[in-house]
Amino acid sequence: MDHDPLKEEPYLRSKLDEYDVDVPDFPIKTTRWNRFIHLLASPAKDPLDSIVSVKGGLMALKIVPAVGTAGLVTLHALFFL
Amino acid sequence: MNNHEEEWMAAYQKGDKEALEKLYGRLKQPLYSFIFRYTRDEQLSIDIVQDTFMKLQDHKQNYAPEKGKLKSYLFQIAYRLMVTKLNRRKKFQSLLPFLVPRAKEESQHINRMTVRDAVAKLPDIERAVVLLFYYHDMPQKEIARILDIPAGTVKSRLHRAIRQLKKELEGDFDGS
Repeated sequence: MDHDPLKEEPYLRSKLDEYDVDVPDFPIKTTRWNRFIHLLASPAKDPLDSIVSVKGGLMALKIVPAVGTAGLVTLHALFFL
Repeated sequence: MNNHEEEWMAAYQKGDKEALEKLYGRLKQPLYSFIFRYTRDEQLSIDIVQDTFMKLQDHKQNYAPEKGKLKSYLFQIAYRLMVTKLNRRKKFQSLLPFLVPRAKEESQHINRMTVRDAVAKLPDIERAVVLLFYYHDMPQKEIARILDIPAGTVKSRLHRAIRQLKKELEGDFDGS
């Protein structure tokens, strides 16, 4: 018989008892398609979060595509005209 | 209670599909709770429970009651699947961080450490030991088999985990 180290910890036991889990209803089987849909629907980290949260980041986000496009147009003009 | 599980498994091995449904009805809840308390990720927990039962169906003849209880056998499968998935997710996260699903975060505004946070803060292997010992009434020998670690390690990790939980929930202990 194992010694129960939690036996002498009634308060810790009561705290651990507070950790309930609600089990959702789900079938025994699923399809790969369902898994894919769940993956698509799950929230993911915003890749622009680190840019937007920095001061001036939002402005940079607006300007960078315009500057990039202008640069590409210039390159295009230099090489092909 | 457990005898039923072994009986149902024997019936399923002989081709009784209803027995599998009974096993699923009985063991889905503890498996899900263990995985959820470990990962705090609802969809991942569902996927792992389903994969565990898929594996049981694909290799149904591999189980032999002499090797141990069916519940421990399924927990072992689920634990291994979970570790593999979490490792794969970590690699994926380092390559494409924005494509990794984010588990629903609970309120971060509460300053007091909740038991959920304290359990989540435990090192992986200590968390698994505490969860199996406390919430699933597993003897240390069975935990050792599920986690594939020596029984002595289970004991030491359990003590370490209890010490850390008490430390994390210190404020609560003072208030009691």
